[in-house]
Amino acid sequence: MLYQAVPYDVIVCGAGHAGVEAALAASRMGAKTLLLTGNIDTVAQMSCNPAIGGQAKGQIVREIDALGGEMAINTDVTGIQFRLLNESKGPAVQSPRAQCDKKAYQYRLKHTLELQPNLQIFQATVTGLIFERGCVVGCRTNLDIEFCGRTVVVTTGTFLRGLMHIGQNKNEGGRLGDFSAKTLSASFLEAGIELRRLKTGTPPRLLGRSINFSVMTEQKGDAEPTLFAFHDTRDQEDLFHVEQTGEGRLGWKPGCEQVSCWMTYTTPETADIVRRNLMKSAMYSGEIEGVGPRYCPSIEDKFVRFADKPRHLLFLEPEGRTTNEFYVNGLSTSLPFDVQLELVHSIPGLENAVILRPAYAVEYDFAPPTQLFPSLESKKVEGLFFAGQINGTSGYEEAATQGLVAGVNAVNKVRRQPPMLIGRHEGYTGVLIDDLVTKGTNEPYRMFTSRAEHRLLFNHGSAELRLGHHARANGLVSPTRLARIEEKRKRILQWNHQLETQRSPFGEGTWAEGIRRNRSGAALPPDLSHGAAAIRDEVLYRVAYQGYLAREVRQIEKLSHVEQVRLPVSVNYLEIRGLRKESALKLAEIRPMTLGQASRISGVNPADISVLLIWLQAGRGASLESSASPASPHD
Amino acid sequence: MSRNNDTIAALATPVGSAAIAVLRVSGSDTEVIARGLGLAALRPRRASHMDYRAQAGALLDDVIVTYFAGPHSYTGENSLEISCHGNPFIAQKILEDLLLRGCRLADPGEFTQRAFLNGKMDLSQAEAVMDLIQARSDRALDAANRQLRGGLSKRMNPLIESLLVVLARIEAYIDFPEEDLPEDDRAATTLAISCISLEINRLIATEHYGALLRDGIKTVIVGAPNAGKSSLLNRLIGRDRALVSAEPGTTRDFIEERIVVGGHFLRLIDTAGLNASPAPLERLGIEKTLERAVEADLFLIVVDASAAASPALPLPVDIRSRLTVDNTLVVLNKMDLVKDEPRLSALGGFEQVKVSALTGAGLEVLRATIGAKAEAFSRSPEDLVTINARHAHSLQQARELLQAAEAKFVGNEPIELIASDLRGVLEAIGEIVGRVDNERMLDRLFATFCIGK
Repeated sequence: MLYQAVPYDVIVCGAGHAGVEAALAASRMGAKTLLLTGNIDTVAQMSCNPAIGGQAKGQIVREIDALGGEMAINTDVTGIQFRLLNESKGPAVQSPRAQCDKKAYQYRLKHTLELQPNLQIFQATVTGLIFERGCVVGCRTNLDIEFCGRTVVVTTGTFLRGLMHIGQNKNEGGRLGDFSAKTLSASFLEAGIELRRLKTGTPPRLLGRSINFSVMTEQKGDAEPTLFAFHDTRDQEDLFHVEQTGEGRLGWKPGCEQVSCWMTYTTPETADIVRRNLMKSAMYSGEIEGVGPRYCPSIEDKFVRFADKPRHLLFLEPEGRTTNEFYVNGLSTSLPFDVQLELVHSIPGLENAVILRPAYAVEYDFAPPTQLFPSLESKKVEGLFFAGQINGTSGYEEAATQGLVAGVNAVNKVRRQPPMLIGRHEGYTGVLIDDLVTKGTNEPYRMFTSRAEHRLLFNHGSAELRLGHHARANGLVSPTRLARIEEKRKRILQWNHQLETQRSPFGEGTWAEGIRRNRSGAALPPDLSHGAAAIRDEVLYRVAYQGYLAREVRQIEKLSHVEQVRLPVSVNYLEIRGLRKESALKLAEIRPMTLGQASRISGVNPADISVLLIWLQAGRGASLESSASPASPHD
Repeated sequence: MSRNNDTIAALATPVGSAAIAVLRVSGSDTEVIARGLGLAALRPRRASHMDYRAQAGALLDDVIVTYFAGPHSYTGENSLEISCHGNPFIAQKILEDLLLRGCRLADPGEFTQRAFLNGKMDLSQAEAVMDLIQARSDRALDAANRQLRGGLSKRMNPLIESLLVVLARIEAYIDFPEEDLPEDDRAATTLAISCISLEINRLIATEHYGALLRDGIKTVIVGAPNAGKSSLLNRLIGRDRALVSAEPGTTRDFIEERIVVGGHFLRLIDTAGLNASPAPLERLGIEKTLERAVEADLFLIVVDASAAASPALPLPVDIRSRLTVDNTLVVLNKMDLVKDEPRLSALGGFEQVKVSALTGAGLEVLRATIGAKAEAFSRSPEDLVTINARHAHSLQQARELLQAAEAKFVGNEPIELIASDLRGVLEAIGEIVGRVDNERMLDRLFATFCIGK
């Protein structure tokens, strides 16, 4: 049966970090949106560690906020410990990170979804998609209720044929205690979408009162928390709207009553236990076919691959204010439960620890993301969008920002508007999506700052200034906030100009020269040093790094030409004269949107790009005139 | 690929021993570059004969420069054509100078590509251009590979590896601040950077052709005091540079001049006379002379033909042992004073030219003979000179960025700026051996450090 006959503009399947951002973005843009989830109580669940942010990810969360997303504000008001990472290093690579109250985070987001106009949430497991002439038109659920939609955003996380391993023990499911989406994979295969397997893992959770923290090192939060949302430009109703409208949503004043994490180390005994039981591990006994991430190895991998490292650092992270559950960061494993117990007990402070939930590895299907356009729409099925782990990524932040982009572009698709495409030079979100759709991935993809060519431009404080135009073009933030962002930009530019041109009364040369000489020790005009911190920090950053930032901008300008040359979707690359066959095949597979994207495909060389440019020009005015317009997949 | 209409430069004629080489400059800054070269009035399609002086001031060649105003040019943009002597070194020297003046080395086929994009060709020609680009780039790649299989790649690969080690270490500190990484060993990193820096220096320096390109063929004028070495130098450069007097031993130090002879770029070094029993001050000059002479590529031994007997040159054994028929020329000077045939000196085994530095007689023959000798040095194996210019350009860029990184280490500047410089180094080296993907750095990082919070 149909729940209702009128189709939704956007149906989002899955309510993890990607799904909730997709649903919120779409409904906030005014589109009629449906969010389907297998379990409404586990909306926006942190399936792994109870933390948001960190290197590169912290910047992504700020980008999400700049684009009107929910992750930043939700973290700020449910965070229980805030730390600015890399504080001793330069400002470009400083990243905020926060431990969150896992349940508070979820419930607040759930409530936000419930209150969101244009959005309907419904609990049902999606069992298949409905296609019509190469387009997606709706989906089926396990309750035999069907839904019609003009677009569908799929965010399956680890649930697509999810299989959990604890030693030789196997359970179907995407997360301990949850189900597995088994039949949906068939739907993708039917549509010609290729699927592959990936693997990830999670450590055991322990009972706090069974842990002896006195032998561990305490890690406190920062006295002055660095928050994720742009509280200086956000509307008050944006900030605490639910609280203000008397809805009584969960959350607290950002940065209050912070809690600590704890550090301990593995022992030689731990190493011995791992080595003795290696063949019982699901990963080492060949039970797992999926590829796991290099940056998040299991404890087995750590002792095997870094045999000379005597001990490994572990963090005990609280999962919330109102729970005694602790997450053991660094102890991911797929060893059998009895070995896990032995392992945990070999660690100082955990001698008598009680395991609440065992560690496990999970294998799941993902759809290699080179099958997507940069809008995150499938090349195979029109109207079908993918976001999050199904695209081979890892991490809440990576998922959330894709969800946001997919949600926005689903609405743009319905409205026949051009998609929101964020450039590699604009932010980590741009780097992430370009890497995925251009290069694909062989392991769960996590963002690192080193992946960004223009990392120096991506300081976390500038996210709003970098992405404001996308927020404006797609109506993602309120006009008041847009005006504040513009005012902020104006004042930053004014100060920048003033510092560069005005002589400092304290020494030779301009204020700017003084700042570049003495960095943080330099004197500042009193109005600036006592003014808004967000403005001061950005001005100081721009002045101190002026030469470097200018170099980055020059490089971007040099490449802007090829980035702007659009390639039609329907090109038959194999017919282009002068193009090497090897490149033609690659290009035909990826079907890049721009010459810039084409140039980043591995195996495509500068000469190929020249040939493409000439071919494009040759066709102008002839048969290709129609496709000389932007090569939008919506055409 | 075309990047906007930035200004590109390249050799337009095939590299080889043609009489004339043509360099082409095209793009938005053409006029600025033309004025910088001293072309005052930019009259289109008018050829001007002029001295080509490097930005630093040194004379490189006498050239013919023609300015073309867009769209009436090959590319359709403002462009310059510079015709110089066909010697590859001079052409390269000029090309290097054009790069220093802000041009970018053109990609294979880029002039033709611009010509097409600016509507200077029709559709049927365009297809031919596409074939051409691919063929040219394949050839360039071939040449690069040939060279890379040789000594260069044997040295480039370890260089890239050590750079990746350094970069992986720095990136690990940046991207994984929460990990239990070994101490930030700045001393070890600085040392590694110094080693890479040294190796790049060595690469730049030991590229013999590169050195010839940059500095010219080092030609030393040696001879007994008052044999007329300085007069000869002045004759060759066409103006008074060296102080000349009848007093032996006037040139106490050495004098260096750059000249172009027969299309070859020479570094001409005048030296103190080699006196068997010198005065103390003179001895100092002689020692310096010998120092210079040992490294020379070409030797001009000046002999006073009018002297009753040719004096024995006190040439030390390490110089004497370097003299060969190919690199040595005996100049019998002061022929205006000689009535009979000059007696053959002890240097009879070498080619001899009779001149008079005073009257200028025989100078043309001397130039031609020097040119012929220089020719031997200029002939590079294969036609790889363009690639050498690319290499040199990229390596120099790499060196500059490495030095910047080193300075920042010393100055304790933020790590991300050091990383930025080092990433630039990798990019510059990537221009020689192909782009080094960030994945390779990550592979190195995860293989070296146990990341796994």
